[in-house]
Amino acid sequence: MKKIVNKLSWLLGALTLLPLLPQPAQADEGKPTEIRIAFSSAGASGRPLAGGSSLATTHLHAALEEEFKKDNIKIKWFFNVGAGPATNEQFANKLIDFASHGDLPLIVGRSTGLKHKLILGQGRFGEIVFVVPANSEAKTLADLKGKKIGVTKGTAGQLTLARVLEKNGFTERDFKVISLDAATLKAALATGDIDGAIVKPYDLVSRGVAKILFKVSRDPKLTSISNFWVGEEFEKKYPDIVQRVVTTIVKEAKFSSEEKNRTELMQLWSRQATDTYLDYVETWKNDKLRERISPLFDEYYVASLQKAVDETKRFKLIRHDVDVKGWIEPKYLNNALKELKLEHYWDEFDKDGNLKK
Amino acid sequence: MKFKLKAGNQILALALFAYAGTSFGATPSTQELQQQIEELKSTVELLGQQVKAGKSSSSGAAASTSEPANKDDISGLRADLENYKYDVQRLRDYKTAQTNRTTTITGSTQVRFNATTTGTSTGAATTQSTARASSFDIPLSTIAFAGNLFKDYGEGHNLDYKVGFAYAKESSTTSVTPTTTTLAATSLFNLQDAYIQYGFINPAVTGLEDANLNLSFGQQLTVFGLEAQTTDELKPAINAAQFVSGLGVGTRQIGLILRGDYSPYVDYGFNYRAPLLEYAVGVTNGSGPNQSDNNSQKDYLARIAVTAPVDYTSWLRELKFGLSYQTGEKNVLASGATVTTPVDGKSERYGFDIYYNHLPFGATYEYAQGRDDSFVTNLNQPASGSNIATTNTGKTGQIRSVGQTLTLFYTWGEQWLKSSNGTGQGKYDDWWPKTYQPFLRYDSWDANTDNTAASGTNVTGKIDISTVGFNLFFAETTKFQVNLNDYHYYNHAKTNYQDLIVQFQFGF
Repeated sequence: MKKIVNKLSWLLGALTLLPLLPQPAQADEGKPTEIRIAFSSAGASGRPLAGGSSLATTHLHAALEEEFKKDNIKIKWFFNVGAGPATNEQFANKLIDFASHGDLPLIVGRSTGLKHKLILGQGRFGEIVFVVPANSEAKTLADLKGKKIGVTKGTAGQLTLARVLEKNGFTERDFKVISLDAATLKAALATGDIDGAIVKPYDLVSRGVAKILFKVSRDPKLTSISNFWVGEEFEKKYPDIVQRVVTTIVKEAKFSSEEKNRTELMQLWSRQATDTYLDYVETWKNDKLRERISPLFDEYYVASLQKAVDETKRFKLIRHDVDVKGWIEPKYLNNALKELKLEHYWDEFDKDGNLKK
Repeated sequence: MKFKLKAGNQILALALFAYAGTSFGATPSTQELQQQIEELKSTVELLGQQVKAGKSSSSGAAASTSEPANKDDISGLRADLENYKYDVQRLRDYKTAQTNRTTTITGSTQVRFNATTTGTSTGAATTQSTARASSFDIPLSTIAFAGNLFKDYGEGHNLDYKVGFAYAKESSTTSVTPTTTTLAATSLFNLQDAYIQYGFINPAVTGLEDANLNLSFGQQLTVFGLEAQTTDELKPAINAAQFVSGLGVGTRQIGLILRGDYSPYVDYGFNYRAPLLEYAVGVTNGSGPNQSDNNSQKDYLARIAVTAPVDYTSWLRELKFGLSYQTGEKNVLASGATVTTPVDGKSERYGFDIYYNHLPFGATYEYAQGRDDSFVTNLNQPASGSNIATTNTGKTGQIRSVGQTLTLFYTWGEQWLKSSNGTGQGKYDDWWPKTYQPFLRYDSWDANTDNTAASGTNVTGKIDISTVGFNLFFAETTKFQVNLNDYHYYNHAKTNYQDLIVQFQFGF
């Protein structure tokens, strides 16, 4: 044993050289050197672009870069091809400070100990389209019983699918639900290797390889809320920075909510190319922009989050309980609304998704 | 409500009013009526021209924003599309490498500088005048082709293939001793991997919670321990653990290997999958790559590993314990004999390993033991140096060899995260996720544990190598490595020494 210790002593001595190696970026207590923000998505062929939210508009307008230019704080964006689970992995490994997230990966991440605060809503409502291969003989969901349905497990899409199935009197067990990433899922629909999926259909339909089985134009109880959070550690350390980030995004949410900007917005968002301009026009045509873009933590947001937590547990997608209490931190949003005089700009919705009188 | 007629309509109204007035005065003749109709016709024609002219002038101002595409526009667009299609087809025909099936080409090359405190002539010309203390080398270069022969999107019953080749410098001192500068300058380029693999169950397609089961047929890495199964791209240290070559477990074998797992623990929040039990069983020639079986018996391989079933965020994440076993027949040759009659002898390998990789901390430990038959003089004595026979005595003893390797590493950066590697991140430009990894390694190898003396006939062959190293991973498939090795011989006749190896390993 002594020999081994003697042999290793010179190795252990070499450890003293470790401080000389490159270290992760450090910051002073007042401000960080960079702000790291993740989208739980990426554009077509890995384009570092996103669409369909106020955060996407913020990125496309380089609004945060402008806001923090004078402080010499760099904005570092991440576009995760692996969607919500990839964002969780980054946060668990301390690589990001802020992120946008769908409900399921957000809840699963929190259930396993990730510590973040919800500081902004990122989107709500919208349509759900169930798509089948072009040659499918199915007329209803019941015709697909026992057949293969594709979904990217671990993402908000899995929870949406579970809700749609439940509303139609089914569970995942009535079908063979397989996990495919977004690109493979569309390829499998085109080849007929799966029998159905919830997916944006318009590119597949225009290619003649798929058709719409049914469409839910707007059902607030089926659709997911999108969220924007900050890591608790960053929030405690840099509350002023968090406030400036939120205020900047709220400004962009206002821009994204103006109907006069609808065409410009959809052209801007469609740069990410996963969804084309016409996809946006088609999928947003039944909704007012300000309803879908709303950053508010209104009754609908809070109830939807709680409902998603309950469903996630009921569908056995999490193993540990998640407490919503204390998770939402509204002060940054409230300050921003007050500062920008937007307290009454966005309408509030009740827990069922109806406009509050 | 304000009622206002346009100019054209005003003229038409006045004209109709005038004719209406005349019609109430007296009954017109047929000729007069005919004349009035002609005048009305010409007036309407005139008004029509005025309206047309007005329309064209007003639409001219807004043409740039609201004019719909006409047939000419669509024809122009179609011409552009046809040109694009032609260009793509032409590039595909003349400028694009093609295969009959989906193929990914990968490769890896090492460029190295090493310096040692004790000069050596191994691997170079024996006619060199002085032993070298340093050298630039290309120790390894590989190229491989892999892809699908059949892809099953729905169930994942894919039929995959891989064919790989590897260059290595000629450094053999046993089978082909480089006695001339010409031979020393040659290199080997051998078939390395050549197998097809069928997926019976493929969790990557059907869902992470499904078990995995596949069968590989052909020339491939075997399933012993950790390091022997790890490709060069992933190994932290430049030199492999001594037992890998000492026991021959890193050698590719030709045969059938069934790999699978059971009861995976899945954390979908991170797409993390930890199979509770991994297993592999196989049957191979046991004679190594690129040759037929060299005896009448097959070798059998088995491995099981258990991974802690915990969430991604647990500190026990990626804690794995493994057991490996190989058994087979080998040709037992008389040690040192020039001509021998080989006989079948037993050859067994046992292994135990622990793997832990919870970024930033990581550790691996491997224990491997070999038991190989050898001719001995006295069956009642251990198969140590003095008892190992140089002729076929008809008596076989067993040589026991043991290797142990402990590696501790600390890793920070993005290289090994699925979310941040080359395909995990959306990027326009090249993506250089950097990762830094200092490590320590202790590697011990004893080729015959019954040879325990520091000198004499039963002199030990035990060597300890201690390494301090640093890896800088950059450009996704490239790493810069620095290893400082300390070699300690338990045979007092041999001189301990140190060497420094600096290497780039780049892949594509």
